[in-house]
Amino acid sequence: MPRYLTQFFIRFGLIAFTLLSLGPVVWSVVTSLLPLSALTSKPPDLNPLNITLENYSLVLDSSRGLFSGLINSFIIATFTAAVGLVIGSMAAYALARLNLPGSNKILMMILATQMFPGIVIAIPLFLVMSRTRLVDTHFGLIVVYLSFILPIVIWILKGFFESVPMELERAAAVDGANPIQTFRYIVLPISLPPLFATGVFAFIEAWNEFFFAIILTRINVKTASIAIAEFSGQYQTLYGQMLASAVLASIPVVALAIIFRHFILEGFVEGAIKA
Amino acid sequence: MQTNNYNRNRYRLGIWFTAPAVIVLLTVLAYPIVASLVLSFLRVRFGGDGLSFEFNGIANYADLVTKPIFREALFRSIYFTVVEVAAVIFFALIVALMLNHPLGRPAFYRIVLLVPWALSPVANAVLWKWIYNANYGILNQALIGLGIIQENIIWLGTPWLAFNMILLADVWKAVPFIALLILAGLQNIPSYLYKAARLDGANAWQQFVHVTLPGLKTTIVISVVLQSIWALKVFDLIYVLTKGSPADSTVLLNYLSWRETFSNLDVGYGAAIANVLFLLMFMLALVYIRALRPRQTQAKAG
Repeated sequence: MPRYLTQFFIRFGLIAFTLLSLGPVVWSVVTSLLPLSALTSKPPDLNPLNITLENYSLVLDSSRGLFSGLINSFIIATFTAAVGLVIGSMAAYALARLNLPGSNKILMMILATQMFPGIVIAIPLFLVMSRTRLVDTHFGLIVVYLSFILPIVIWILKGFFESVPMELERAAAVDGANPIQTFRYIVLPISLPPLFATGVFAFIEAWNEFFFAIILTRINVKTASIAIAEFSGQYQTLYGQMLASAVLASIPVVALAIIFRHFILEGFVEGAIKA
Repeated sequence: MQTNNYNRNRYRLGIWFTAPAVIVLLTVLAYPIVASLVLSFLRVRFGGDGLSFEFNGIANYADLVTKPIFREALFRSIYFTVVEVAAVIFFALIVALMLNHPLGRPAFYRIVLLVPWALSPVANAVLWKWIYNANYGILNQALIGLGIIQENIIWLGTPWLAFNMILLADVWKAVPFIALLILAGLQNIPSYLYKAARLDGANAWQQFVHVTLPGLKTTIVISVVLQSIWALKVFDLIYVLTKGSPADSTVLLNYLSWRETFSNLDVGYGAAIANVLFLLMFMLALVYIRALRPRQTQAKAG
């Protein structure tokens, strides 16, 4: 195939890819900015003069549950990411460097935990948590989310810690640092990029999670995902408001992904296939 | 003596450092998996004073065989997984190849890829619910505008069609991450292999078949396994778009298990379905672990 033809096909493909990826998202944002009357006229009335933030102010009304949902999601995702990083990085360091017996077996088991269908875990967890009154608490959801964030954090960070030169750690030991100090003052500071990548990933996963949230929450800790799902059930003919709630809940995670894309692309994606 | 002490310290610290993570994983994962197996042999009743359990033998599993809904959901789950994974890998490969080409290098395209990936799955479901809307959805309006269809199609109201529309929305959401994996895989193929192939007179297609595809083998195996596991777990889309309707035609295993357990309160039966799903995923997990293993030994040898 001549060179110019290849170039033409790739240019065309890239445009199609951009339109197909962003089109639905842009259309949702446009929808969320238009009043219902503009959306239900045929064809939809896209006059920019119609643009209004009314849908947003309506969905953020406290009676609708979205605002408290966003706050709950923020609390849960922040704690999941923070605790996940602390105990995940410790375990990853131990598995990478602290001569733990059977560390390969532990790693494989940790990896296998990724493969459980949520429903298998959800049924017994729900029964236990109802008895221990952990249903509908932030704590309950954070612990469950930790269980599927931790394997990813451990797997990615372990790969990175192994690439930290052993000489660096030996030098620290010669200078009289104990293993905790070595970890705290030598290994962690140079591991900030992958720590960030896994932290952002954990936050996004916990923020977006829906399946356990719907099983393990009732009234108090409804997350943003639940609020949107309820919206699309109860007010499904208020299209603009339905989409405004979806856009609001997506802004934080999409922004995080774009801002930290270098960390995610290099730290995370590479780790998944290199292991 | 000094070194011995140092090593013993490290070893002891290793146990302390791993303990919190292992405890969380054991309580939240290991215990429920055993409990789920036990539950699937019980009949669970919700009484006024809480739950009551009673041994039920293999009745829950026998129900799986006799109730057609399970067989249908199993068939649909397999169809969904096979078609979804094939479509996702196909499109992700095309996207990754384009983004690996010099024309696709600008950071802008990476951002385009990250947007559908980061989007909350429930937001994604709401988005498609609106696009598929029979009266005002953009899909019908666009197709009518282009003259492809004459009147509105009720995308989510016809059994076979609704199921495939859910599949389509899921593919859209899943392509970016797999494309990122394949892109990383492409960048790991050494460029001298392409140079050597060109010296041997290989054209673009031959380079793709003999250099690119073999170089991507592990990445593709991993992608297939991961994506199969994610496809078997699909829930948000069904919950928001159809809730299993019309006529249970969009009920997949995961959704069925959830519905039996938490809506119909048939906990033992729900657990039996969940265990079948677990078995399917476990077999996929073994493939994943095998795919990763030879690489590690290679890396160590090299």
